[in-house]
Amino acid sequence: MEIITLKGRCIVPGRCKGRALTSTKPISFLGGVDPNTGRIIEGDHDLRGKAVKGRILCFPHGHGSTVGSYVLYSLARKGRAPKGILNQTADPVVVVGAVIAEIPMMDQVDIQRIKTNDIIDMDGEKGIVKILRK
Amino acid sequence: MNRVYLTRQEEEMLDGEHGWAYQVSMEVLVKLGDLFGASRLIPIKSAHISGVSYKTMGDAPIDFLDALVKEGGKAKKYATANPSGFDPEYLVGKLPERYAAQQLRILNLYGKMNVKPTFTCTPYYLREPRPGWHLAWSESSASMYANSVIGAWSNREGGPSALAAALIGKTPNYGVHQTENRQPNVIVEVERALQREMEFGALGIHLGKTLKDSVPAIENLIDPLDEDLKQLGAGMASSGMSSMFYYRKPAIKEKIETLSVEARDIDETIGSLSTATEKPDLIFMGCPHCSAAEVEKIARLIEGKKVAKGIELWVCTSRYVKRKAKKHVDTIERAGGHVLCDTCAIVTWTKKLGIDVIMTNSAKAAYYAPTLNDADAILAPMSRCVDVACGRKL
Repeated sequence: MEIITLKGRCIVPGRCKGRALTSTKPISFLGGVDPNTGRIIEGDHDLRGKAVKGRILCFPHGHGSTVGSYVLYSLARKGRAPKGILNQTADPVVVVGAVIAEIPMMDQVDIQRIKTNDIIDMDGEKGIVKILRK
Repeated sequence: MNRVYLTRQEEEMLDGEHGWAYQVSMEVLVKLGDLFGASRLIPIKSAHISGVSYKTMGDAPIDFLDALVKEGGKAKKYATANPSGFDPEYLVGKLPERYAAQQLRILNLYGKMNVKPTFTCTPYYLREPRPGWHLAWSESSASMYANSVIGAWSNREGGPSALAAALIGKTPNYGVHQTENRQPNVIVEVERALQREMEFGALGIHLGKTLKDSVPAIENLIDPLDEDLKQLGAGMASSGMSSMFYYRKPAIKEKIETLSVEARDIDETIGSLSTATEKPDLIFMGCPHCSAAEVEKIARLIEGKKVAKGIELWVCTSRYVKRKAKKHVDTIERAGGHVLCDTCAIVTWTKKLGIDVIMTNSAKAAYYAPTLNDADAILAPMSRCVDVACGRKL
């Protein structure tokens, strides 16, 4: 087992462990993610068709309508939200979404080092992200 | 991370002693304040809330708004709402019933939280803030207008943060709530005497793209009307991240860079926003919502003429202005135009109404029509919009 430790800044506290879903592209939650299914629906997105449910969702930052925050809440209510969020740069849409949906979130994380399906153990309080690879 | 100072009562809210609705609202404000360097929360005079139209949002916000209502969340300060997907008369019946039902659900949820049913993007025509008032206004064109034309102070809030501010009655004091962030940091010299509202809007789109989030001091605007400045700000906020501009020479202490805008820049912007060459299905004016003076202008232009067959003319405004300008509304409607309130072409389902080409005098509307309405746009001044509505060839 290989363990890589990254540092980050806690936005929404909480510790969680899950499989990474990683994108190099920003995500617009309104219009880009189906609020009912939690699948990425943005036309030319590299995660198009993927479900965010239960994943540690890693992407550079959010963009698009501020109402996107409500999509994260709606997904959480339906049990289809990501388990955790890792960003390079926190932006208000994702921050507010993570706050109201109570999804642990960190930013200033070097997400380029994380690959989809890596097991991620994120600890907001300590500001530490562990990548566990077999 | 920076920590916002909280009073004892604010701490109690954050700890949930006043219920979940106020707790989650306080969490939103504190988190944004921490991130963007606020030192404390400050009282606001009003909040303006975007995130109303069912067309732009779908079902996304319903769960959250519903939860706030169930937990007894109510606006503590005067709070106004952005446009909805429907007007109360003309569009009902033309669009699927399910849309109307879901839209009504959203409007009722806001209503239960004591958000006023204003459904306008120009809340400043209903109750104009005073210079120096702190506000929490979402709808980027409205916060831009409040900062730049009225001299009130508001960040460009998002729908959720404006709603949180309405429930708490306060906002974190970062961004343009701090004097140092309201200093102009670039001078813009406009090399053409702008005459029509459409050119002001196009200048706005050009500046938004070029300046990103700077605070420009725009020189050489000759006696602009407030409506021209409304167009300028709406354009700038659509294509960029600026919160405000200056149009009268402000006191500039330090030497700052100068950007020159040539006549060519304005023409190219107008050209790039006009994506259609065929006849429009819809002539749309009122983005942002018309003032009473604009409704009167349109009425004077159309008086004695008739809207041509196969073309729709929409003049969009608030209920308040529609009542106030009743005489002119009647003139427009006699000519076959529709004066819609509570909504606009961008936030309703124009595609479902069979509209593929929209002609408008608003650079902001032309900027958004291709993506939000799947329509081509033609940008032209008000007088030409009225002429084409009445059958003149393009």
